[in-house]
Amino acid sequence: MTNSKLYRWLAALLALALLAAACGSDDDDGDAAEETSTETEAEGDGDDGESTVAAGEEAEGDVDTEVEATDVERVVGGEIAIGMEAEIVGMRPWEDTCGSNCYNIFVTIYDKLMESAEDGSYQGWLLDDITPNEDFTAWVGNLKQGIMFHNGVELTAQTIADMFPIQQEGSQSAGQITASGLADVQATGDYEVTWTLSRPNSAFPAYLARAQLGFVFEPGAAADADAFNENPIGTGPYLFEARDLDNETSVVRNPDYWMSDQNGTQLPYLDRIAFRPIPDEGTRLDATLSGTTNVAHTLRQGTIRDARAARDSGDPIILYEFQGNNVGGGMFNVLVPPFDDVRVRRGLTHMNSQENVIEALGGTGISLPGTQWFSPDSPWYSETVAAEWLQFDFDTGVELLTEYVNDPERSDGKAVGDPIDAELSCPPDPTLIAAMQVIEQVWTQSGLVNVELTNYDQQTHIDYALGSDNGFIGNHTTHCWRVATDEDPSTFLNAALGPPTADVAEANGLDPALVSPLNWSNYFDAEVFGSLVAATQTSDFDERYALYESVMLKLAEDVPIWFSGHTATALITDANIMGLNSWELPDGTLGTGHPNAEGRWGQVWIDPAAG
Amino acid sequence: MARILGIRLLRLIATLFAVTFLSFIMTSLLPGDPAVAILGQDAIQNEALLEEVREDLGLNDPIPVRYWNWLTDAAQGDLGESYINAGQDVSQVIRDRVPVTAQLAIMAIILAVLMAIPLGVIGAYREGRWQDTTTSAAVQVALSVPNFIIGIFLIWLFAVQLGWLPASNWNRLSDGVWDNLRTSIMPATALAMTQMAIFSRLVRSDMIATLRENFILAARAKGLKDRYILMRHALRPSSLSLMTIIGINFGALLGGTVVIETLFAIPGLGFRLINAISQRDILVIQGITVFVAVVYVLVNTAVDLLYTVIDPRIRRS
Repeated sequence: MTNSKLYRWLAALLALALLAAACGSDDDDGDAAEETSTETEAEGDGDDGESTVAAGEEAEGDVDTEVEATDVERVVGGEIAIGMEAEIVGMRPWEDTCGSNCYNIFVTIYDKLMESAEDGSYQGWLLDDITPNEDFTAWVGNLKQGIMFHNGVELTAQTIADMFPIQQEGSQSAGQITASGLADVQATGDYEVTWTLSRPNSAFPAYLARAQLGFVFEPGAAADADAFNENPIGTGPYLFEARDLDNETSVVRNPDYWMSDQNGTQLPYLDRIAFRPIPDEGTRLDATLSGTTNVAHTLRQGTIRDARAARDSGDPIILYEFQGNNVGGGMFNVLVPPFDDVRVRRGLTHMNSQENVIEALGGTGISLPGTQWFSPDSPWYSETVAAEWLQFDFDTGVELLTEYVNDPERSDGKAVGDPIDAELSCPPDPTLIAAMQVIEQVWTQSGLVNVELTNYDQQTHIDYALGSDNGFIGNHTTHCWRVATDEDPSTFLNAALGPPTADVAEANGLDPALVSPLNWSNYFDAEVFGSLVAATQTSDFDERYALYESVMLKLAEDVPIWFSGHTATALITDANIMGLNSWELPDGTLGTGHPNAEGRWGQVWIDPAAG
Repeated sequence: MARILGIRLLRLIATLFAVTFLSFIMTSLLPGDPAVAILGQDAIQNEALLEEVREDLGLNDPIPVRYWNWLTDAAQGDLGESYINAGQDVSQVIRDRVPVTAQLAIMAIILAVLMAIPLGVIGAYREGRWQDTTTSAAVQVALSVPNFIIGIFLIWLFAVQLGWLPASNWNRLSDGVWDNLRTSIMPATALAMTQMAIFSRLVRSDMIATLRENFILAARAKGLKDRYILMRHALRPSSLSLMTIIGINFGALLGGTVVIETLFAIPGLGFRLINAISQRDILVIQGITVFVAVVYVLVNTAVDLLYTVIDPRIRRS
């Protein structure tokens, strides 16, 4: 009888476990599906004065967490663990690929020469000031004095000059040196640095705020690149502690950090930060909800949606959301028929239902539909361009495609009346596949397009569009893609719209050195490129704005790129993590917040009252 | 015995040659330029730099030449350096990660055996009754549910809802046994469930056959207790297939923890392999693939040899 009872208990336990499993998944799905809030609320205990943000005032779907100064008392001490999307490649700014994950770590160890302020301008961080000559071919900057590297070496102008040869050889920084036109760096005083350019560049300070050229490392230690990778040396608020690849990278408080906050408290506030790569989006969020980590980093709308659902159901978390210029969608390879014909590009773009694509991406109420390479929050955003951007209009799309298909001179050489062929390619992410299926459905429904959906991993996807085996024309036709950053427009537009091949450069009388394999769509227009170059020869904002607006208007006409929604990113934190949207530059100017889920961890603190 | 060992050794060498060649071919044919993966998009404008990297890494050589170079180096224990993580020796990458993955695999096997034997024995002993039906149904569910779904459920239950265990990452044994167990128990359990289902079905069917043997009838006739008969007389002859499958599955687990390691962010061989694939870090992919293949073949050879020790009939034949 005892055995029999035991068996019955065992059976009951198994049944309970199965029941619990079934209930668990239902709850999760239900919460996520019902969540359509367009507000981002920073939740604390209500006593700390932290902001509640309703950014929908700016535009429907715009959900940025506001950047704003706060007078909440800072607390020194404590440690946090941050769940990152992926492991980083290495610790060397000049050599190792650096995306959002890497930036979060680098910014703890290294300081940058320049930094972005809330208004989008670039201001000094390690530099006190920087001034150009008349034609923007030389820039003179003065470094702050008395700043020491983690190994006790002082930062001087000669340090910056000594970094330059290393950067010239660096696989990451060499490209930025070319793109910026930087030709030489000289120490023209103890703390005065002169950057000489090969061509005018009014946006050069933007490059000194980028990871590749902006992060300052100790060149003496960098002489042994492998050893430096094991023990990186910067001037940043934290000292490198240890790196357990694929598990944890940790930094500890730099007791001699040079910067203090506006109350005179020495930075940084935290004692230690651990960065843990957690590639699974669900696990990363669960890790924060369960207290395994204190912060979850995400670049996915679906995770933001789930985090909002968790917050709204009572989990004590804050979502520091950001939606900047970066915008998803796709591109046409304009050198490959039939996408060399603007009727096809316009027709297919008219048949891109942005609303449905954003919904398939899980971004309804999160992502703002894109109309240009700038988001409505950007100083470069143009209402005129937004009005000109092609809206979803199936009939007009069909009309344009029909005109092409029935054209005896159609560029793809197919018989009159035959549908065009389009390979619609995207990495095999479930939400991206769903989004591409929405587009496929609409395009196919026209009866004028044979769509073949293909999925390649990220690296193959990039290589496919690069096409180094065919003169960088690429083997793609219609390719899902993201464009734009929140940096100065010249840092991404000049390469993305430069002459794609030597032939194109030659035909337009341009220097072959300007050929840009980063022009993925291969779209080139001499007037557009002229405007982009002109925008680097003036620092007058209105003049530059007009030039970029003219470029965007031309893109709205020729549509080498189509858009879905702007990329939403977030840092999802415990309710007591403060400072991500209120950090300041050394002169007290409010910083840019947390673009692309990149925090400035030197000014983050734990508020015990908000826990 | 010497002849058996000799044949096994020859078979091992042939298998390793085939595995290394095929994996080298497959990784070399992966689309995507490793030079672009190494240098990143910002370096694409610099074709000279890309070419320099390709030349440095021997990527311009024909595949057979690259394979031969790799093989001769590998035969001397040099698996090369990671393309992506500067200064990282592939052998070191494997050495660092084997303890993690091996621990997970061993824990999963132990958990699976601990659960499978009672379930299998109960099922066999109570064949056709409700105990058998219940355990069979539970085993069927465990077999049907992918281990990552079990992992997600465990995270939800033990980390998010109960707060008993960390949701992710890994504490090494050097951090303390308890801390290590806290991070290893959930992934090991997720891995164990499928193994448990397989083992339990095997034990049940073998045990049913054993319980019909004459020597069991004789034991019963002697008046021995059922529990004694089951554990002392029936279990051992019913565990031969189990041993084989444990061996095979242990080898498979070493290379098959990719999903669970990624889900729980565990720095084992599988997690590194996934990162290496996405980064086109060919030598790391090759090194890990070959290592897993070698272990798989060695474990299976060891199991075959162990068979001859356990079962005198096989040895004599």
